[in-house]
Amino acid sequence: MRQAGRYSGMLCGGLSGRSGPHSLPLARIKKIMKKSGDDVKMISGEAPIVFSKACELFIEELTQRSWMVTMQGKRRTLHKDDVASAVIATDIFDFLVNLVDNNSSNSMDNPEDISS
Amino acid sequence: MERGGRFPRYRRHAKQPAASSSTSSGKVSIPTDMSFLQANANPSSTISPNKANVESNSSTAAQAAHPQPVTVREQDQYMPIANVIRIMRRILPAHAKISDDAKETIQECVSEYISFITGEANERCQREQRKTITAEDVLWAMGKLGFDDYVEPLTVFLNRYRETENERSYIRDPILKRSSVGVVEYESLGMPPYIPSYPRGPPPQGIFDGAMMGGYYKDTSDSAAGIGGSSDSNSLANFDPFAQFK
Repeated sequence: MRQAGRYSGMLCGGLSGRSGPHSLPLARIKKIMKKSGDDVKMISGEAPIVFSKACELFIEELTQRSWMVTMQGKRRTLHKDDVASAVIATDIFDFLVNLVDNNSSNSMDNPEDISS
Repeated sequence: MERGGRFPRYRRHAKQPAASSSTSSGKVSIPTDMSFLQANANPSSTISPNKANVESNSSTAAQAAHPQPVTVREQDQYMPIANVIRIMRRILPAHAKISDDAKETIQECVSEYISFITGEANERCQREQRKTITAEDVLWAMGKLGFDDYVEPLTVFLNRYRETENERSYIRDPILKRSSVGVVEYESLGMPPYIPSYPRGPPPQGIFDGAMMGGYYKDTSDSAAGIGGSSDSNSLANFDPFAQFK
């Protein structure tokens, strides 16, 4: 695996802000990728690098949307509920719906009968 | 998950076979159980968004005194929270506060995002009978799953990265290392391989400059920050510039 930016973890630890090339650790990304399925075999060196940037974009988008919910509530503290609302309101975040709702064990037990 | 619940903490300190303990089996069962764990040592099965679950798993796995990494530590499942927070703060106004549960939630969402995209990319690789997930697969998966807004900036990012990689191999030419012009070049192109000959000041800082590959990536191309940044950083005491050569 390419080691470009392998110091990014150290650099980011030592610096403030975004001066490292990748602000997310590539090895950790690779680990998570491997865990995503039993049959994940090999990962090219560039894939975690793409993900490091993609995750930044993702975090930025999710934060942005969540903050808009916070502002609507005239609050200044971003809460988990705001994140949950943003997830529910955004189609592409559908895969996160169960995650943001993870603490309610009976989330499946409430058959909201939306008869349409 | 039974793997977690069987070895309560007190056992380790009890220093007894614990045959009479309330749980079903004493020491004898440990190897058996661990072999069960070994047989099923499937990292993917320990994925759980519930952090408490993972924590108890890893602590009890340690309790069993077998250093088997059968469970994934919580910190390995997620992006470091400090990095996540830093990225969030780029978006949020200065006065904004973030609750702890929001930070953790977003941290979990990132991991889920990676898994989600990787799963789709992996499926494509399998369909096409390829073994390696490439950057193109990742980009394709993002486009397919609705993140097409990301595809273009990521493609630009990837191309710049690739250019830099090509230039890096070019810059290994010994002629370039002595060039004073190279001072600026290095910081935008990558770590100079001939560190001892780097002409700038004390080696650690010089290397730090060279290691500021961020130049190729920085959106605000404050290339001066790379050079100037070395004077700010006090935290390079443990920085080992030769790590990559070991």
